[in-house]
Amino acid sequence: MASYFSKQLQSLLFFTMSWCLFACNSENKASLSANSIIYCSEGAPETFNPQLVTSGVTIDATSKQLYNQLITFNAKNNSISPSLAKSWHVTRDNKKITFYLRKNVNFHQTDYFMPTRPLNADDVLFSFNRILDEEHIYHQVSGGRYPFFQSVGFSDLIQSVERINDYTIRFTLNRADSSFLANLATDFAIILSKEYAEQLIKQDQMENIDFQPIGTGPFKLKEYRGGSFIRYNPHEQYWGSNTTLKQLVFDITPSNTGRLTKLLAGECDIVAYPIAHEKITQNPKLALNDVTAFNIGYLGFNTAKYPFDNKLVRQAVGHAIDRQAILETVYFGDAKAEAATSLLPPSSWAYDSNIPVIDYSIVKAKELLLEAGLPDGFSIDLWAMPVQRAYNPDAVTMAKLIQADLQKIGIQVNIISFNWQEFLRRVALGEHHAVLLGWSADHPDPDNFFKPLLSCASAETGNNRTLWCNEKYDDIIHRALLTTDIKERKQLYFQALNIVAEELPLLPIAHSKRFQARSTKIKGPLLNAFGGIDFNGVSKN
Amino acid sequence: MARNNIYQEEEFPSPLMQLWFHFRQSPVVKIGFGCFLFLCFLAIFSSLISPYSPVENHLDSLLLPPAWDDNGDVSYLLGTDNLGRDMLSRLIHGTSLTFGLSFIVVLISLVIGVVIGSLSALTKGVKSSFLNHFLDVILSIPSLLLAIVIVAILGPGLNNTLWAIVMVLIPQFIHITRNAVAEEFNKDYVLASRLDGANSIRILHYSIFPNIIEKLISQATLAQSAAILDIATLGFLGLGAPIPMPEWGAMLANGIDLFYIAPWTVYLPGLAILFSVVAANLVGEGMRHALKARKES
Amino acid sequence: MLIFTLRRLNLFLFTMLILSILSFSLSFLFPGEQIINISGQINATPEGIELVALEYGKHESLITQYWIYLNQLFEGNWGVSMTSQLPIYGEILNHLPATIELTMTALFIAMVTGIPIGFIAAINHRKKADDFILSFAMIGYSIPIFWLGLLTILIFSIQLGWLPSAGQISLLYEIKQVTGIQFIDILLSDSPYKWQAFQNASSHIILPSCVVALAPATIFIRLARTSMLNVLDTHYIKAAMAKGLTFQQIIYRHAIRNALVNVIRDVGLQFANLVTLAMVTEVIFSWPGIGRWLIESIYQRDYTAIQGGLLALSCFIFLVHILTDFIYATLNPLARETHRGPQ
Repeated sequence: MASYFSKQLQSLLFFTMSWCLFACNSENKASLSANSIIYCSEGAPETFNPQLVTSGVTIDATSKQLYNQLITFNAKNNSISPSLAKSWHVTRDNKKITFYLRKNVNFHQTDYFMPTRPLNADDVLFSFNRILDEEHIYHQVSGGRYPFFQSVGFSDLIQSVERINDYTIRFTLNRADSSFLANLATDFAIILSKEYAEQLIKQDQMENIDFQPIGTGPFKLKEYRGGSFIRYNPHEQYWGSNTTLKQLVFDITPSNTGRLTKLLAGECDIVAYPIAHEKITQNPKLALNDVTAFNIGYLGFNTAKYPFDNKLVRQAVGHAIDRQAILETVYFGDAKAEAATSLLPPSSWAYDSNIPVIDYSIVKAKELLLEAGLPDGFSIDLWAMPVQRAYNPDAVTMAKLIQADLQKIGIQVNIISFNWQEFLRRVALGEHHAVLLGWSADHPDPDNFFKPLLSCASAETGNNRTLWCNEKYDDIIHRALLTTDIKERKQLYFQALNIVAEELPLLPIAHSKRFQARSTKIKGPLLNAFGGIDFNGVSKN
Repeated sequence: MARNNIYQEEEFPSPLMQLWFHFRQSPVVKIGFGCFLFLCFLAIFSSLISPYSPVENHLDSLLLPPAWDDNGDVSYLLGTDNLGRDMLSRLIHGTSLTFGLSFIVVLISLVIGVVIGSLSALTKGVKSSFLNHFLDVILSIPSLLLAIVIVAILGPGLNNTLWAIVMVLIPQFIHITRNAVAEEFNKDYVLASRLDGANSIRILHYSIFPNIIEKLISQATLAQSAAILDIATLGFLGLGAPIPMPEWGAMLANGIDLFYIAPWTVYLPGLAILFSVVAANLVGEGMRHALKARKES
Repeated sequence: MLIFTLRRLNLFLFTMLILSILSFSLSFLFPGEQIINISGQINATPEGIELVALEYGKHESLITQYWIYLNQLFEGNWGVSMTSQLPIYGEILNHLPATIELTMTALFIAMVTGIPIGFIAAINHRKKADDFILSFAMIGYSIPIFWLGLLTILIFSIQLGWLPSAGQISLLYEIKQVTGIQFIDILLSDSPYKWQAFQNASSHIILPSCVVALAPATIFIRLARTSMLNVLDTHYIKAAMAKGLTFQQIIYRHAIRNALVNVIRDVGLQFANLVTLAMVTEVIFSWPGIGRWLIESIYQRDYTAIQGGLLALSCFIFLVHILTDFIYATLNPLARETHRGPQ
C-alpha cells in the first residue's frame, strides 16, 4: 500500500511540476521560434537525391533546399539564368555546350562529412556520370533508375561530358536538342559532391549518398526522422545570399485536415496544398498564395492490361465522365482551375485549341462499350493518389465522382489508395487498371509534357503510368526537338496531340493553380511556376 | 414474488418473462428500449423511408447546411456533403449498416460462442485448462487490434470487418457461457435431473439454457455497443466499409476534410453513433438491473 | 508469495508461447509468400530469398521453423518493414515508448479522476449525485473516441487556442531520442531550451491523454462505485459504525483502502481496452506511437510490421496485466492464497 501511494505521489509531483511550468510559460519561446519556420508538407520524401525521382514531394523537400544546379530558371520571367555555372557558351550547331563554374562554392559541413575543397569540375562530372554511365560505381546505388533523365533520353543525347579544366566543363551532344538547357535547369539536375562519394566508398556506405545528403544549397540536413519530420539548418558558407532562418522544419502531415488544423492552431507557419480556402481567407492572421502552375491532372489508363488495352473502352470511359462536375466539385471552381482539353495547358506556346475534345455523353459511352464487346460492364481498380498536388487537390473525391459516373455505364469501380511512396512503386509496376495522377512541368518547354508522360522510354522507367507506347508519337516528339523553329515544332506537337486525343491513353481533366497558405508573419516568395519550393529568401518576423 | 394461488401446479413466468417484468420498471431504460426499437425500425426499412438514394450525387447542391441554418434547404433536412449526397438518407442507410450489422454480428457470435462455451464446460482437465488460458490470452489482446489483424489477413472490406468482429466477440461469449454453465451444473436441480437419467445434452437444453439465457442477453447487448463502436472505428480508419457506403464511421472519416467548412458532416455521424451506442447500453444496463432485481426478489 | 509468483510466471510463459505461435502463424495466414512475410525482404532476388529461407529454416519441419523464429526474435531480428525496409525491431523501439508514455499518463488520469468520483457516487448511493455520475459515465463510454478527439481539437486547439493539436512536442525543439519517452529524453538532453521543451511536451500530452482516459475513467467510476458499495455492506464497516466512528472516519480509514484494492485488481483488465483507444487517438493526434505506426502498416499491407507490432503491443499489455496482478497481490494477502477464476 505504502509503495503504491508513494509512487502515486511521485507522479503527482511530476505532473504538478509540469503543469506549473506550462502555466509559467512563453517568454523565451519567442527566441526559438522567431527565426525558425515549420513547413507542413503533404508527404515524406522518397530519397534526398532528386536525380532519382520525379515526385513533387521529394523535389519540394530537397532540390532547392539542399542543392544547386548548373543553371536555373529566373523566378521573374522563367528565363535561364546562372547558378553554379556563372556563364555558358553554346556552339552554333547547338551540339557543344561549355559551362564555366563559379569559384569558391562550398559544400555542406555536417556531422558526417567535412569538405576539404570547394566545388570544381570533378563534382559536376561525377553528378552526371552517375546518371549517364551505367558502369559508374554509383550508377546502381539506390536502384539505378533516373526517371527524369531516362524519360528525356539523356544517355542517347549526350555523347560526352568532359572536364576542360578545374572550372570548365563541356557537354557534347549527338544531335541538337532545343530543350537541353531547360532540362539542365530543372530541379533534377543537381550537383553532388565527389569528395563525399569517395569518402563513402572508403567507409563502405555508398547508399548513404542519397540519404545523408551533401550539396551546395542554402540548407543542410540536420535530422530526418522517417515519415515524421525533416530538420534543416542553414548552410553558413553558402555562396549566394544567406538565409536569415535558424532552422527549417518540414513537418510531414499527409492529412489535409491535419495540416489545416496545425495552421489554424499556429503549429505550422506554412502549409502545402491547403483545403477550405474560405476558412483561410477569412482569418486575418493567415494568407493564401497561389501561382499559375504549368500542370495537368489526368485519368491514366493502364493500356497494357485488360480492359483498357482496348481503345474503345478508354474512349467509352472518356465519354462517361462528367469533367465539368469534377472541376466544380474537386477543384475550387473556374477561377482556380480550367478544364483540360489536351495534354498542354493553354498558356503553353504549343497549345492548340483545334484538338478534338471528348464530350460527356453516356449514350456514346454505351455504344462504344457495345462495340468493344463489353455491354455488361466490368469491374476495375481505380487508384487515387493519396497526396494533394496542384493538379489534383483531392483525388479520392474525384475518384468517387468517377465511380458514380461509371456506375451509369455498368462499370464497377474499386477505389484504391496507398501511402505515396508505396502508391508510386506499385503503379510503376502496373498493378492498376486506371490511375488518377498528374504532372507538373519542370520547365516551360512543351517537351516536358510529351516525353515524361507518354513516351516509350518513360513507359519503361515507370514514369509513363499508362504504359502506352506508340512509335508514331515517339517519332514526332523526337523530331520536334531537332529544330529550334517554333512554327515547325508547333506543327509537330499538333500532330502528337491529335494522336493522344484519338488513342486516349489518358483522359486530361484539369489544369490548376498551385496554392499555399501561410501565417502573415512569413515574408518572401516561396512558390515557383516550375519546380519545387525555395526557402532561401523566406523570412519570419 | 407473492403467490396468491394455492395450487402447486402454478404457471411460473419463464425467467425471460420475469426479466421483462423487472426491465419495464425504469423509465430511463424504457426510453433506451424505445430508441433501440426505433433504430431497428430504421435499419429494416431504411430504403423505404429515406428521401434519396445514399450514393446519389446532387451536384447542384453541394455542402448545403442542415435545414435550420439560414442557407439550408428543406428538401435536404440535414444538409448535404461535398458530393451533394443527402446526409439524412445516408444516415438512415447507415443505420442498417452500422447498427443493423452490429446486431447480426452479435447474433452470430452469440450462437457460436454459446455452442463452444457449453461444450467446453462439459470437458474437464488439461484441455479445459488450456482453453481457459488461451481465452485469457485472446481477451488480453485489444479487440480492435485483433479485428485489425484479422482484417489484414482477410483484406479490407465490410464483410471481412464483420467476420473480424464476430471472431473478436466469440471469446467473450465462450467465457460467459462456460462460467454460467459450470455454475448451473453445480446446482441441485441439475443433479436431480441427472439422477432421473438425463444426459448432458438434455440437461443443457432443458435445464440450463432457460436459466442462463438472460445472462447471455445482457452480455449480448453490451457486446452490441462494443460492436457498433468497432464497426464505426474500422470504418473511420478506412479498413471497413468501402468508399461509397454510408457506414457512419466511414461517413465521419469522409467528413473530416470538410470539418472546418461543413462541420455537420462530422457532427451528425458522430451523434448517430453516440445515440445508438447509448441506446444499446441503456438496454444492457436495464437488463442487468432487472437481472439483479430478479435475483434479489 | 512464492507460489503466487511461480503461478504468474507460469501464466506469463504460457501467454508468451501462445503469442509467439500466433505471430508465427500470421506469416502463413497473410497473403503472399510466408518467407517474405516473415522477413520483409520484398525486393530480394530469388537467390536472396533462398538465403533468407535457409536462415529461417524453411526446409525444416514446422517446429524447427518456429524454434528458429523464436531465436531470431530473441536476437532482435524481427525482419524488416516491407515498405521502408527498416528493421522492425528498431521501429518498435522507436514507437513503443511514445505509446507507453501516452497510455501510462492516460491510465494515471483515468485512475485519479475515475476512482474518487466512483467513491463519491457510492457514498451518495441512490441520490441525485449518483444518478448524475452514472449518466455521465454512460455517455463517457458510449462516445466514439475518434469523434471525441476531433471535437476536443476543435474546441481546445482551434477555438480556444489553449493546447496544441498534434505531435509529442513542437518540432522546433531539438531533442535527441534516447529512451523514446519524451519527458525523460528532455531531461537527458543538453538543449538550452530544456525547460521550455518540457512545458511544451506537457502541453502536447494533455489533450490526447485526456481523450484516451475518458472511457477508462468512466469504467473506473463504475468499478469503484460497485467496490465501495460492497465494502460499505460488509460486517467490519457495520462494526465500525457500531463502535461510533463518524462516517468520514469510516470512509477514510477503512472503506477507501479496501475498496481501492478491489479496483486495482481490474486495472490490468482495463488496460487492453485503453490501448485500443490509444491506437485510434494516436492517429487523430498524430502521436508518433506504435498504434499509429501499426495502422499505417495496415494501409501499406506491411505484413512484417503488423506481425511484429502485434507481438510487441500484446506483450506490453500483458506485462502491465501481470504487474497490476503483483501490485494487487502485494496489497491484498487474500489474493495470494487462492487462484482466481474457474479452475
